[in-house]
Amino acid sequence: MSALPLQGVRIIDACIYWAGPMATGLLADLGAEVIKIESIQRLDYLRLLGGWPTPDGYEWSAVFNGANRNKYGITLNLNHPRGREIFKKLVEIGDVVAESFSPRVMENWGLSYEVLKEINPRVIMLSMPGFGTTGPWRNYVTFGPNVEMVSGMPTISGYPGGGPMMTGYMADPAAGLTGAVAVMVALQHRQRTGRGQHIDLSQIEAVTSFMGGPIMEYAMNRRLQPCRGNRHPSMAPHGVYRCKGDDEWVTITVSSEEEWARFCGAIGNPAWSKEPRFSDTVSRYKNHDDLDKLVEDWTRQHDKREVMQIMQRAGVASTPVLNFAEVLGDPHIKERGFFEVVTRPVTGTHPHPGFPAKFSETPISIRRPAPTLGQDNEDVLTRLLGMTKEEVNQLAEEEIIGTKPQGWAYAMEADEAISRIRDIHTKGGDSKTDT
Amino acid sequence: MSEKALSRVHVLDLTHHVAGPYCTKILADYGADVIKVERPSVGDASRGMGPFPDDKPHPESSGLFLYLNTNKKSITVNMKSLTGLGILKELLKQVDVVVENFSPRVMPSLGLEYEALKKINPSLVMVSISNFGQTGPYRDCRATDLTIWGLSGILYELGEPDREPLKMGSNVAEYVAGLYGALVTLSALYYLDESNIGQHIDVSILEAFHTMQPSMTLVFSYAGFVRKRAGIHFPWGILPCQDGYVGFYLPTQTHWESLCTLLEMPELRDKPEYETPMTREERRDEITAIIVSWLQGKRMEDVFHAAQELRLPLTLVPNPEQLLDMPQHKARRYFVDIEHPVAGKLTYPGAPFKLSETSWQAGRAPLLGEHNEEIYCRRLGYSKEQLVKLREEGVI
Repeated sequence: MSALPLQGVRIIDACIYWAGPMATGLLADLGAEVIKIESIQRLDYLRLLGGWPTPDGYEWSAVFNGANRNKYGITLNLNHPRGREIFKKLVEIGDVVAESFSPRVMENWGLSYEVLKEINPRVIMLSMPGFGTTGPWRNYVTFGPNVEMVSGMPTISGYPGGGPMMTGYMADPAAGLTGAVAVMVALQHRQRTGRGQHIDLSQIEAVTSFMGGPIMEYAMNRRLQPCRGNRHPSMAPHGVYRCKGDDEWVTITVSSEEEWARFCGAIGNPAWSKEPRFSDTVSRYKNHDDLDKLVEDWTRQHDKREVMQIMQRAGVASTPVLNFAEVLGDPHIKERGFFEVVTRPVTGTHPHPGFPAKFSETPISIRRPAPTLGQDNEDVLTRLLGMTKEEVNQLAEEEIIGTKPQGWAYAMEADEAISRIRDIHTKGGDSKTDT
Repeated sequence: MSEKALSRVHVLDLTHHVAGPYCTKILADYGADVIKVERPSVGDASRGMGPFPDDKPHPESSGLFLYLNTNKKSITVNMKSLTGLGILKELLKQVDVVVENFSPRVMPSLGLEYEALKKINPSLVMVSISNFGQTGPYRDCRATDLTIWGLSGILYELGEPDREPLKMGSNVAEYVAGLYGALVTLSALYYLDESNIGQHIDVSILEAFHTMQPSMTLVFSYAGFVRKRAGIHFPWGILPCQDGYVGFYLPTQTHWESLCTLLEMPELRDKPEYETPMTREERRDEITAIIVSWLQGKRMEDVFHAAQELRLPLTLVPNPEQLLDMPQHKARRYFVDIEHPVAGKLTYPGAPFKLSETSWQAGRAPLLGEHNEEIYCRRLGYSKEQLVKLREEGVI
């Protein structure tokens, strides 16, 4: 195996849900040895969120399996003093400790940064609760959707004239990515000085950082950016248009007058395109509703990939709107080798999305799939902490470690579970499995 | 706390617009020395994009540019002139990193592909950020934020089922790619320190953006279905109240029961037709109407605090004006005021994360070519007369 950029960096990962695991997952992709800590008493909620109500359903969470690849997985009951003792031993040999609990949790366990740095002065601790580790709202509950809500992004999103809109999921990976950058900034400092530090990452602040334009607009002009939907104030047409087929769409954006001329040429210079109401970007933006109808009259007659070809040949930005099944088969994404076929216990062999950057000297790949619950208990405890097999067995007997979740009572057959989940997702409604 | 985490890192920044500048902004804000190279007299295209104070366009007061280029030094170089190329090559010898986000044809056409740069500076880390990556059939395709959304798989499933797919209002794909740019830069520098080996890194904005969703391709591979557009409806919601919006997400039975408590309508909990998630979903319009009428006349912050007392994941949904006024942001000093000689004093989003031992700097964006003299004369040893000559020749 070739070298990896972060080889030799060891991360003790107590993160649960998605944002924290995404941060450590990216660092694992880059070569860090990440030891993910779960417990059999309280499953990582992400296993439930995407999981199935079947006996081994906690291993079928796609979002969990995506965010936790390249990690080692152990279970440790941190509510038990022996569990916390083992955690501290891991901190001693770790470079980074990452956690995404609300701030009181680590404090209550006696595992605050002040304590951890006594154990290991070089350690970098990443704390990433929703609202950050300080301030009056620090202990408030937030799920990923709440982080997106408070970030400010929904109020600049939505169909024109409608209410705010959100994705419901994008805040977690965005905050997680920011967390990975934060760890690298602290590691850079440590390489020079030998000193660790504590990172206080508020997921909400991290996502609000994407709001530069709208916030500067308010700061400058005391004015709120209107909801423009798919439109753009300096490009027209700029939208998503229906194509031939059922629920088939294409994006088209025209960013200059030269492009407009080429766009008109590509669709056969129809008479309407010469009308004064479409003569420049400002007029086209003003008459966007009418423009959209006329553009769509043309796109409806074509396949979405055909539209992309015609537009790109004319030098106009356009892409088919792909669903996730089509993304897997897209020729460009395939040729780049973005998806890697990986075999995992329980779930089997599937294409997994890879890392979105290619390193010329230290190529990144999926070296190991997401761990099954407690998969690496024995390996980590014996290899890294020098325990004997007997000691490990003893821990299992006392239920400080384990490989079966407590209180998992789902018994549905896989086929039935899949068809139920499919119904929920394809008829449009509640998109989450109730727990 | 004047120590900066990245004070040892030297970056040559050939980026423009959003993705590349956000990458180098992160590096500069945490202490890296970033030299931004701009086209003489025009500069980065984002200088021409708004928002502008009082809507008066001015190359030194674009809100987008000011935000994305804090703490950088600006020099002007005509990269299409031989002298300009010579200057770039001199600078390349003095830096650890070069970041660029041109379309993939540009750098090779200037003779500045990685293989050539490596000869000038063997341990150089080169980061290229582009829409589709440096390889593949779409490599040279035109793209904008919306068209990237189209290919990512994400656009298809956002919005209402009976309407067109809908993107979010911020340039998320570009910001995300910028963060990935910073991540791979720092990772490659870490490896450089350990091995003395530099490298070229090819970041695809499309692939970067694709990672911002819950592994839906894997869901398809596991279970064979594609999620349809479902809008944001109960048990999610963003609903109006007196002074704005509140939003919630109620994933469990406990959360539903807490909502009934918040509404002071315990009878809802006992209603057989609201007993399970399925039955509640069938009557989601009814439930939404109950919540909307309860919210009438209530202030968003009051509802938020009352819900949080019950550990209910209900939050306010602030607009930019309300964000600037949020007590939590004030307590943490998230927003910062930055003075700028042309745009004046403005409020900017601040540090995306805080470090206990090293500081984030609230510096301003540079004027076009502001650091020509500093970089050309003090770092590269040009005389003032040579500088004047370069200016006359249109090189800088």
